[in-house]
Order: sequence, then structure tokens, then C-alpha cells
Amino acid sequence: MTKVEVESLKEIVMENRLQGLWRLMRGFRGIYLAAALAIGLAAISRTAFYFLLRYFIDEVLGQPGMGRVVPLIALGFVALALVQGAFTFLSGKLAARTAEGVALRLRDYLYDHLQRLTFAYHDKTPTGELIQRATSDVDALHRFFGEQAIGVGRIVLLFIVNWAALFWLNVQLALISVVLVPLIVVVSILFFRRVSAAYEAFQEQEARLSATLQENLSAVRVVKAFARQEFEQEKFGADNGEMYRRGRRLLLMHAAFWPISDILCGIQMLAGFLAGALLAIDGTITPGDYLAYAGLLIWVIWPIRNLGRFIVQMSTGLVSFSRVAEVIRQEREPLLAGSYVPPDHVQGHIAFEDVSFAYAGGSGEEAPALQGITFEARPGQVVALLGFTGSGKSTLVNLLPRFYDYTEGCLTLDGVDLLAYPRAFLRREIGIVEQEPFLFSRTIRENITYGVDRAVSDAEVEAAARAAAIHEVIVSFPEGYSTLVGEKGVTLSGGQKQRVAIARTLLKDPRILILDDATSSVDTETEAAIRTALRRLMRGRTTFVIAHRIQSVMSADLILVLEKGRIVQQGRHAELLAVPGPYRRIYELQSRVEEEVAREVERAAVPA
Amino acid sequence: MSDVEFQEEEFTTEFNGRTFLRIVAQVRPHWPLFVGFLVMISLASLLDAYFTYLSKRIIDEGIVAGNREALLRIVATYGALIVVQAGIVFGFISMTGLLGERVRFDLRKRLFDHLQDLSLSYFNRTPVGWIMSRVTSDTNRIAELVTWGLLDITWGITNIIAATYFMLSINWRLALIVFAMIPVLVVVAAEFKKRILTEYRVVRRMNSRITGAYDESIMGVRVTKALGREAANLDEFQELSSAMYRSGYRAAWLSALFLPAVQLISAFAVGAVIWYGGLQAQIGAMTIGGIQAFFAYITFMLWPIQEMARVYASMQQAIASAERVFSLIDAVPEVADRPGAVDPGSLRGDVAFRDVDFDYEEGKPVLRGFNLRIRQGETIALVGPTGGGKSTIVNLLCRFFEPTRGTVEMAGRDYTELTLHGIQSRIGIVLQAPHLFSGTIRDNIRYGRLAATDADVEAAARLAGADAFIQSLPLGYDEEVGEGGNLLSVGQKQLISLARAVLADPEIFIMDEATSSVDTLTEALIQQGMEALMADRTSVVIAHRLSTIRRADRILVIEAGRIAEMGSHAELIQARGHYYRLYTQQFRQELEASYEQAEHDPGLAPVG
Repeated sequence: MTKVEVESLKEIVMENRLQGLWRLMRGFRGIYLAAALAIGLAAISRTAFYFLLRYFIDEVLGQPGMGRVVPLIALGFVALALVQGAFTFLSGKLAARTAEGVALRLRDYLYDHLQRLTFAYHDKTPTGELIQRATSDVDALHRFFGEQAIGVGRIVLLFIVNWAALFWLNVQLALISVVLVPLIVVVSILFFRRVSAAYEAFQEQEARLSATLQENLSAVRVVKAFARQEFEQEKFGADNGEMYRRGRRLLLMHAAFWPISDILCGIQMLAGFLAGALLAIDGTITPGDYLAYAGLLIWVIWPIRNLGRFIVQMSTGLVSFSRVAEVIRQEREPLLAGSYVPPDHVQGHIAFEDVSFAYAGGSGEEAPALQGITFEARPGQVVALLGFTGSGKSTLVNLLPRFYDYTEGCLTLDGVDLLAYPRAFLRREIGIVEQEPFLFSRTIRENITYGVDRAVSDAEVEAAARAAAIHEVIVSFPEGYSTLVGEKGVTLSGGQKQRVAIARTLLKDPRILILDDATSSVDTETEAAIRTALRRLMRGRTTFVIAHRIQSVMSADLILVLEKGRIVQQGRHAELLAVPGPYRRIYELQSRVEEEVAREVERAAVPA
Repeated sequence: MSDVEFQEEEFTTEFNGRTFLRIVAQVRPHWPLFVGFLVMISLASLLDAYFTYLSKRIIDEGIVAGNREALLRIVATYGALIVVQAGIVFGFISMTGLLGERVRFDLRKRLFDHLQDLSLSYFNRTPVGWIMSRVTSDTNRIAELVTWGLLDITWGITNIIAATYFMLSINWRLALIVFAMIPVLVVVAAEFKKRILTEYRVVRRMNSRITGAYDESIMGVRVTKALGREAANLDEFQELSSAMYRSGYRAAWLSALFLPAVQLISAFAVGAVIWYGGLQAQIGAMTIGGIQAFFAYITFMLWPIQEMARVYASMQQAIASAERVFSLIDAVPEVADRPGAVDPGSLRGDVAFRDVDFDYEEGKPVLRGFNLRIRQGETIALVGPTGGGKSTIVNLLCRFFEPTRGTVEMAGRDYTELTLHGIQSRIGIVLQAPHLFSGTIRDNIRYGRLAATDADVEAAARLAGADAFIQSLPLGYDEEVGEGGNLLSVGQKQLISLARAVLADPEIFIMDEATSSVDTLTEALIQQGMEALMADRTSVVIAHRLSTIRRADRILVIEAGRIAEMGSHAELIQARGHYYRLYTQQFRQELEASYEQAEHDPGLAPVG
């Protein structure tokens, strides 16, 4: 495996968004400026085209010896087109390189960033939100560099170059040519700003319509059961009608803007034509001057009316930038930070001494998630955690791989403070098997070898699968170990997933093990298979079991009974059973169940 | 869903004339708009061509001739026509846009209305996402084709015709020389666009894979952290993102090359105009204005040719969209009213299944020779393993499906002789996962009987045991339930759907009990609501709760599409068969759960 380094983008997080964007362009600034320069050069060669035309009309056309010069002039036009085309292409290519390059760097960085952010951040941020920032917002930035900024540059440069050329032709004409331009710019910006608001309203309605449709489709049984088809049709019809009205409003805005800007641009152009033609009739300018002027004038006026569009679009690009920067600003988990790395594996001796933990960001008034936890697990021992949902079992085991850091007390591993170990090291030493483990949509083999960063032989994978009692299931699939997991492949049951995770953990071979032991939902045969697999896995490792039933804790070396973040009882099964307390109560409840079943059957068998 | 979309992107058909005609037929109700915009765009194009001709006359008749009066006359005409043109532009934008919105509206309405008529079997085999795309994006593509697509085509054709006409009339020999470049342009443009489109398709595919990678990475972040897979994951992601970079960059620079390439080819035409036009001018067969006009007309022909490939590609896409949309419109409801079907007026009386066979898929029978008579007012509990056929019996009873063989009798007749509305409006059904619609609680209960007063709604809620919790909400009955009711708990949703069924006051009541556990109090309320509904009403319950099962008049154990056992609770317990095993197992589980709950919240005594 290669060592990957992704350039940090932390520095783009700034108060000033434009400055942030500039920093984001690091490494591409020269290229991007070259793209702008190429646009300028392309504009200049287009302008030169009209000057060559002027020369042709005034100096060549109708002159003696014209026959010899004309082919050269014609060639000149082709050459200018070639130069112009080359620069246009160059600018497009350089801008694309910037846009793609910036997007690539953002994608890589965000991907890495997301998987290194803390649990605290992932807990409070919805998946869809993060995905949107990593995809649509990055796309928006891609467009910002690839289309919008470059589009504004093109319009501005075309204007500057061609207007400068007009000055060179005739100052008076140059001034007449731009009288209406400020007005066109203002109208364009105002229009596109309003249109983008109307477009948002339209999209909102589209989303509402989709929601109505989706609700109808997923509730199709209810609709049919109550025979409410007509009611639904009316409901959808109302949303549909509103969407029609919003669409019509949007389109009428367009239908108003384009003709108005056509008239403005057209009048400006015609005024220029008239002024130019009058000057030409006076003899102040030559016919060639006029032809060049008429050509240049078009390039001064018409592109301007699109300026508003790009400017408004750029502002949405800026919003996307803020949204991306907001994610980048978040602190990563420092995986390698730590003062102590043992030369070899850990022993697995864990001691909690008055450990407390409170989630950050809480109001401070609510009780800490864990409080005053004290116990000791010696290497190879099995510690069972018993308690109801919300009692703190998961929180407790989450402290071990430093998914969260304990806030008070002292927690040591092999006598060294847990916080001294780098997270990456701890996680290599700890294996976790969850109740319903997450598997990736890749092959079963890849899922099993997912946690080991070395080449694994097929024999080894198979041995792990056998030990996890999942080999038989895997080979029953048509493609065996190469079967894809998930939508495109097989759907595994909860118990099967758990056994794949057991195989994965066996291969990883950690010193410390965390098990979520929930086997109540699977049938007895599978339960036996999982139990055997788990026993194999636990051998020789310090194990923490999150237990749900008494049977699975009876053989533990230490049982912790948790309630509201505190240990209310601890000891071995026999010890705990000997004293009155919650453990005995739970135990008795479960044995009472059997008695009641018998009584119920008796009751039913004697008809009342 | 992303996968479905992506297959659609791949979907390109050959040009299908019949589908095309059917698409065009969508505009029939709005034919004045259709004809209007086609005429308008043709006029606009002709006028554009005429503007160029006027520019030529400014030069030839004004400047070169030195005639101020002629100049002013031409400029005045030009100015007037600019205003006319603005009017035409307003006309075609508003007409085309309006037509587009109308067609969209019509198609959406037609699809939605048709969806209400389709049978449940259609929704069972068609993913919601697929249907959603038909109603949203496909209708858009079709509307785009009959509006802007046809507009582009008409505009292109008129442009070419107009430019051809004016060029031929200015100088036909030169015009023929210019025409020689057209085939070259067409070929180059088509080749370019083909490649660019292919490349963008790759980009889109990469994009959806990247989104998938983000999704999986965030969903599996716990596993990644636990296994320390960050570096390897990033490595894999970088392969994806670099591939995206390569194809995105390639697509972008190919696009950037397209315009210069087309312009370069046209530059040869410009060169030819200069060369040959210059020589013609010498003998008086060509004016300066004529030369300029030729430049403009070359651009005129250039645009449509340039756009041709894009328009063709989107046309293909629209046709593919239309085929999918039409396939939905053409789908025939499998369960529909027979000719001469009558409304029975009442469903009172026995319900009987006679020798019913049923399969969802051919060759996979679910029910075989099923016979059952449910007496008026009787309560039947269906129990048995998943996939045994319980839901199928309910589906047949509601006539969501009809028997493959045999009959179901209601009101003394084969129910296929009755109208669907007549049956379904008299059946009340409460589903396992209750579906609510966005809106208030009141709206949702009223769904059962649209004409109900507020007092009726509240009375129904009281009867169903839902009133207490509704009153405890800040806004009471006016509380919003959220999309699909997701602001409420499962238990609360069940209570509301019970109230909805109570309000509907059905003659037959059907309930699919939820398997997920709700808290004891809610459970008791749900029981109360069910009792209210089942009292002297023919009721069929897919039962999971023992209390419900015990209360039934008859219990049917359904296994493998047959009645394995039938009788009262006491009879079946005595028989010590399937039911006995199911019952004791479940009794044990319920007892354990209730103890756990009692332990958790000592204020509530265990039920059972």
C-alpha cells in the first residue's frame, strides 16, 4: 500500500471569501492568469481581423496590382483565425485544468477529511448534508472557476480590447458607442438577480411536488384502501398548478428581459452605425474604418448583457465556497498524536479509576454519560456489561479505542494513561464486532480482509471464515468469496453480517475485543453457530461484551451492571446472585418467565 | 436510485418516428401556441437575416454612394424593425415557454391520474424512484423537445434558408463557393459532438460513483476508524477522483477545441470571400457591403450547424424519455372494474374464499385451493410465519389483487361483479407501518371521511384512544405530522391511523398489527382503539400481539399458503400443535419484554 499525502486545505478557511478562493487556487494561479491572458490575446486577434479588413477595403480593393495582394490578405484572415482559435482553445484548456485541478484537490481532501473528523461531528451532522457539500458544492466551485469567473473575464476583456480599438479608430465614435452600456449592465444584473430568486421559488415548488408524489406512491395502499384517488388527484393537481404558475412567472420574466435588452443593445448599435456612417459620408473616416467599426461595435455591446448572469451565478459559487469551508474548518482526529507507543502489542490490562465522561456541547446541566466508573480487566479476561438502553454500555466501550476521550478520572492500558497512546495504535490493537455491522459494497473477501494492511492468502481468509462459521454460507453463493455484498450482490442477514465481521476481526487479530452480543433475533441454529464463533474469537483476548441477556454474562470474569451511567453492581455471576440487588432481580425475572408460560398454557387448556 | 438514473443516461435509442409523432401529438390541445411560436421564430430568423442586409445597404447605398437621405431612411427602417423584432422575440419566448409549461403540466397530471388507477401489482414490481423520474425529469425532457428543441430546429433551418437566399441574391458564384464548406463543417461538428457527449457521459458516471464512495465512507465511518483504514480508503478514492479528473479535463478541453475548430473552417470561407469577392468587386459584381454581408451570413449558417449535433442528441434522449413515459401511460390496471360492475350498497353478510389460487409471479404459488368463510361480525386472527400467505389473504380481501383461480364472495356475489370503489370504500384498513400524509393530525384523521366535521374527527380520535396524546401536543389536532408522519412515533402513527379507520366507519375492518414494540401505555391505547373498531364488525387481523389473538373468535395458523390449524385459542392450545409452539414462544418473549420495561420504568406494571 502506498503512503498517501493529501495537501492540506486548512488555509482556505478565511473571513474573506474571495481571499479564500484565491488561496484555494494555489498552484493554479499562474495557469489561471495565463488563461485570462489567452482570452485577451484571442480578443486582440479578433480585433486585428477587423483592422485587416479595413486595410483590405481602403488600401487594396480596387487598387492596381490587387490581384497579387488579395491571396495574401485572404491567407492573413485564415492565419488570424488560427491565432485566435489557438488562444481561445488555450484559455479554455487552462481554465479547465484549473477548475478540474481545484475540484480534484477538494474532493480528495474532503474525502480524507470526512473520514478523519471526530465522532462528535459525525453524530450531529446528517449524512446527506455532508454528501451535498462534497458533491454539489464542489461542482458549484468547479463551475465557478471553469465557467463563471472565466465568463466574466471574457466579457470584460472583449469589452476592453474592442473599446480600446474603437478609441484608436475614432474617439468620438468610441464614446458614442457606450452611452447605453451602463444601463445594459444594470438591467442585466437586476434581471438575473430577480430571475434567480424566481428560479429558487420554482425549484422549491418542484421539490414540494416530488414530495407529494413520493408520499402518494409510498402510501398507495392507504389511498386504495380509503378509495381516495380523486382526493389525491386534486391534491397533486393543486401542487402541479402552482408549479405551472411559478414556471410561467419565470418564463415571463425571461420573455420581458430579452426583448428589452434587445432593444437597448439594438438602439445602441444602430446609433453607432448612424454616427459612423455620417462620419464616413463626411469623409472623416474611410469606408474601411466604418466596416471595422461596425464589426468591433457588435463585440463591445452584445456580450455585456450576459454579464449579469455570470455575476449572479458567481454569488452562488461563493455560497458554496462558504459551505465547503465550514466543513474544512472542523478539527480532525489526530490519529498519530500520542507520547507512548509500545514496542510490541499491548497486554490488554485495562484499569478504570473513577472515570467520568460527558459529551461535549451538552448544556452542562444534564448528567454526564458516565460517572465514577472504577473496575479492572486483566489480560484475557471477559468483562460483561449489563444494563438497559441508555445506561452507558456503548459509551463505556467507545472510550477504549478513543472514539471519545474520557473527561475525568484515570483510565490506563498496561499501566499507561490511555490518552498517551496514539489513536491509530489503539485501534490496531482493538477489534469491534457490532450487533449489525456495516459491510461495504465490495466482495465478501474484500470485506473480510478490510482491516488488515498486508497481503492475505486465500487460505488465511478461508480459515478465518471457517472459524467464524460463515464459510459454508459464502461457498453456497454462486460466486463464493467474490460475491458482492449489498444492492448489486447478495443481501446478508444480520447474523451473517455479524459473522463476516467476526472473520474480519479474527484476521485482524487484536489484543482487545469489543462485542455487541445481540443474538436474540436469530434462530437457535444460527445462534449456536455465532456463539461458537464468538468463543473462538474471545480466546486469549481481553474482551468487553455488551450483553442483553443473563445467559451471555454468566461465564464472564467480571459483570458490570450499569444504570444511568454508573456501575451499580459488579462481580461474578455467583457473587452477584448471592446478594439482593438489580442483578438478582433481572435474573429472577427471567426465570419467572418460564413459570408463567407454564401457568398460561394450563389456564388456556381449561376452557372458561 | 442513482443506479437507475445512470442506466437511463446510457439509454439512447435510434430515432423512432412513431414515438416522435406521439410526442408532437402532446401539443395538440395547445396547437395555436405551437403554430404561433413556429411562425414567430421563423419571422425572427428572417428578420435577423434582413438586418444584415440592411447593414449592407447602409454601406452601399449610404456610405459608398454618399447619400444622407438614403442612410437616414435605412436607419429609420432598421430602428423600426428592431422594435418589431423585440415584439417577435417576446412572442416566441412567451409562446414557447407557455407551451412548455402546459405540456409539462398536462403530462404530469396525466401520469399522476393514471398512477391512481394502476393496481398494487404495478407498484410492487416498479420502484418508487423509477416512477418519480418518469413524472419529474422525463416529462421535462419531452416538454423541452416539443418546445425549445423544435424551436432550435426551425430556427436553424430558417437561418440556413435565409442566409442561402441572401447570399445567392448578392452573388451566386461566391455563395456556391461558401456552400462548399458546409459538408466539412457538418462532419467535423458531428464528430466533435459525438466525442464530447461520450466523454461527458463518462464524467456523469464517474460522478455518481464518487457520490457513492462518499456515501459509503460516511455511513461506514465507524468501521473505518475502528479498523484504521483511512489511508487505504483514500488511496482507493484517489483512483476514482483521478479518473474523474482525467475524463472531466478531457471533456472540457475537447469542448474548448470545438469552437475554434469550427471557426477555423469558416475562416477558409472568409478567405474565399475576400479572395474571390475582391476579384468580383474589381469588375463591379460585388460591393463592399456585399463582402461584409457575406461575413455575417457565414456566421449565420455556422450556428445551426454547430448546434445540430447537440439538438440531435437531446432529441434522442427525449425520445427515450418519451418511450418510458408512454410505457407508464400504456400500463393497464390489472385489477379494474368489469363492464356492468355494480355498487353493492353494503358489504354486510359473510365473506367467502372459494378454491382460491394465487401467485404474484407465475409458477410461484402463494395460495393453493384456499377456502374460508368469515361470518358477518366475526373476528379472525391470522398467525403464522412470514411468507406463509397472511398478507396475501388480506390483499385479496381488499381486492388489491384478484385470485388467479377461484372466487372471493362478498355481499353474496363474486366480488369481481362489484365495483372497486364499492368494495374499498367500505373496508377500513390499518397497516403495519402506518402511512400518514404531511399535514396536520386533523387532516390525517379526516382522510377517513372527507366530509367529517371537527367534532366527528375528535370523537373518532377519542374512540380510537388517540385523543389523550393529541391533546398533550402543543397544537393539539393542528400539529403537523411531518413528511410521511415522521415527526410522530410509530405508536402515535398507529393511533392516528386507527382513528382514521374509526372515522371511515367501515363494514369490514382489516388490520396488520405492527411487530415493532411500542411502550406499554400506547400499546394499551392501541388495544382500546382496535376493540372499538372490531366490535360487531367483520374483522381480519394479521396478529402479532397475544392479547389480540386471544380475543379473536377464530384463529387461523397460515403456513405455506394453507390453513395449518384453525380454532379458538383454547382449542388450539389443547391441540399442542403449531399454534401451541408459536404461542408459548411469543408469550415468553412478551413477558421478558414487559419485565424489562417494568425494570426500566418501575412506574408501570407489566402487562400480560
